[in-house]
Amino acid sequence: MTDLAIIGAGGFVGTRLVESLVLDGRPGIRPIVRSYRNLAGLCRFGSTIDVRLADAEAVDSLAEALAGVRTAVNLTNGAPAGILRSTRTIFEACRRAGVPRLVHLSSAVVFGDVERPTGDDAAPVDKHWMPYARAKATSEVWLRSRLRESGPEVILLRPGIVWGVRSLHTLDIVKALAARRAYLVDDGRGIFNGIYVDNLVACIRAAADARGQAPGFYNVGDRERVTWREFYDAFAGALECDTARLPRVSGEKFPHSVRSSVDTIQSLPLVNELYHRMKTHIPDGLKASLKSRLEGGYEYGRVGGRYVEQPSVDRELWHLQRVAHKLPIDKFATTFRFSQPVSFHEGVQRTLAWLDTIGVGAAAVHAS
Amino acid sequence: MSLRILVVGCGAVAQRLYGQPLQQLEKAGLLRVAGLVDPVASHAAAMRSRFPSATTHADAASALATTRPDVTMVLSSAHLHAEHTLLALQAGSHVLCEKPMAQTSAECGRMTAAARAANRILAIAMIRRFFPAFAQFKALIESGRLGTLRAFEYREGHKFEWDVTTPAAFRRRHEGGTGVLFDIGPHALDHLAWTFGPLSVVDYADDALSGIESNLTMRVRSTRCPGSIQLSWDNPLTNELRVTGDRGEAVLRIDRFDQLAIRESDGWAVIPVTADFPADLAAAGGRRLSPRSYVQAMSCQIVQVLRSIVLGEAPAVDGESGRRTIAALEAGLASAVPLEMPWLPQRERQAFAQLHWNHTR
Repeated sequence: MTDLAIIGAGGFVGTRLVESLVLDGRPGIRPIVRSYRNLAGLCRFGSTIDVRLADAEAVDSLAEALAGVRTAVNLTNGAPAGILRSTRTIFEACRRAGVPRLVHLSSAVVFGDVERPTGDDAAPVDKHWMPYARAKATSEVWLRSRLRESGPEVILLRPGIVWGVRSLHTLDIVKALAARRAYLVDDGRGIFNGIYVDNLVACIRAAADARGQAPGFYNVGDRERVTWREFYDAFAGALECDTARLPRVSGEKFPHSVRSSVDTIQSLPLVNELYHRMKTHIPDGLKASLKSRLEGGYEYGRVGGRYVEQPSVDRELWHLQRVAHKLPIDKFATTFRFSQPVSFHEGVQRTLAWLDTIGVGAAAVHAS
Repeated sequence: MSLRILVVGCGAVAQRLYGQPLQQLEKAGLLRVAGLVDPVASHAAAMRSRFPSATTHADAASALATTRPDVTMVLSSAHLHAEHTLLALQAGSHVLCEKPMAQTSAECGRMTAAARAANRILAIAMIRRFFPAFAQFKALIESGRLGTLRAFEYREGHKFEWDVTTPAAFRRRHEGGTGVLFDIGPHALDHLAWTFGPLSVVDYADDALSGIESNLTMRVRSTRCPGSIQLSWDNPLTNELRVTGDRGEAVLRIDRFDQLAIRESDGWAVIPVTADFPADLAAAGGRRLSPRSYVQAMSCQIVQVLRSIVLGEAPAVDGESGRRTIAALEAGLASAVPLEMPWLPQRERQAFAQLHWNHTR
């Protein structure tokens, strides 16, 4: 029997999960990807893994790819309009293929700004502004209704911001710090509800390997309570950036700009669906030109000279920095006897090591 | 005069990169696409929607015999480049061969010998030679404005998003896969050798276990300065070529057509990009173009091949230049060691070193 199928294995978390399993010598790993291009990050593992091609929105092909699997992990992360469809399809394909357990990755974003203490079994916030959050929330509601039905045992994991090595989110923050265009909302007092990527991978493995039944919804995150200011400080030193000099942004009212207006329009349900359908058809030249305009000027130096005074504020980051409470993670730790393998400090050190190798870390700063 | 074109391989490269510029050049009367070859009928049919008068074929040999092209564009999977190029040259056709030229320098040698024997042009497609910022960056380096060069750093990588129609690139090397080395590597090494002079590989490391690499690093020497190269199919790199000299520093953005800047004593300054290339077959005084898109750059590249045939100009990249690039890539592979990944836990690093392809073979 195949031990573990990873649906959506071509992404940032998926490739790291596959890597950790392979380097641990685990046999029976079956990554499942939608298209050939998703093999680019997996091809290095060669015959140590059993890659299958299947569409997460097509029950028949997915059920075939899941045949003989003990646990399926859903790491798919496509356009918001497809998230509920793929959630349903994956559940149904697992049921048809007789897969005993499904580990489903949701997101803590379903709780919005976490304005009050929020437990693992709380309902997602209503009418979230972000299409991705709305889709994840709808999928959670649908999966909750399936917990007592026949089919795979569902273990739903709800990570916060997945940060660390190869995280585009972390890279964006580090680049903003290096270019001196980062900012802090409410002086950075908000809670950074994050999970280091290797800790998330360990959570997934713990859920997949657990003996006995443990269906349910679980928040997962780093155990340390970290504020956004502390998160920025962890990287700013290596980039010779003084976070005390970063501009402060009020958390009372979102400061609108051209970029945020584009984000707002793009987040409207119909526009968002159309955008995701059309984006592959936009000519490369036009795409690059639009991207350049929205990005603003390129920072050719490795570190910026002056600290920006009027930052361009990203709506998603503004909301994330307003998070008021740390999500509890005790339920997962107790149920799965889980102990976080990588401390926040160690995660930062590993991430800095990675940043150095890609030319944006301390070594790059000193080279400049 | 309209040259007859045969397109061998109608997958993603043909459809996304060549289809539109060929169609535009056909409309302009510079060429006529006479035949389309692909064993997958739907791929050939997708291209035929642009060229209704072209005939479609399942194999290159019969297409060459039927269409008798002036130029064959070899756009097939990388492991078939040598076979298709040799067939075309033997049939008396000039060739524009997509990168990588072939899988080994020995194959490249046979291709260049066949071109000489047939007295035909063998051009290697290196579209970035027609990115105006790249041409100006080369001129900047040659001008000596940066003083004595110390080193360059070349980084190119992001999540692979090319919508390939086959898994060929991802197979193991002996099964015809390219890996990132033979995918982005030819672009990088051709560009760097063109800019800094002939390259020799000092060391090479990659991340392949029993498969083919997604990430690699190389250190190289050129006639002007040493340098480092980092390529990735899944790691978000800076996508820059950065060179430092004793009088300044310059940065070229690898994923853009028109973005380069120089830092001298008074800080960074963006350099206006105006370099242009011939856009027709006029011997002198014809139309020129400063490309800002892949379609425009590809159009200039195809025009340059046509000018080589019609006007006797040199192709931008000839077979011998292509062979040197492949030889450098081979030299890297021959010295492969496991890539340093200091962010991995110690036990994973040890396991990776044990499982690396060059350790286990």
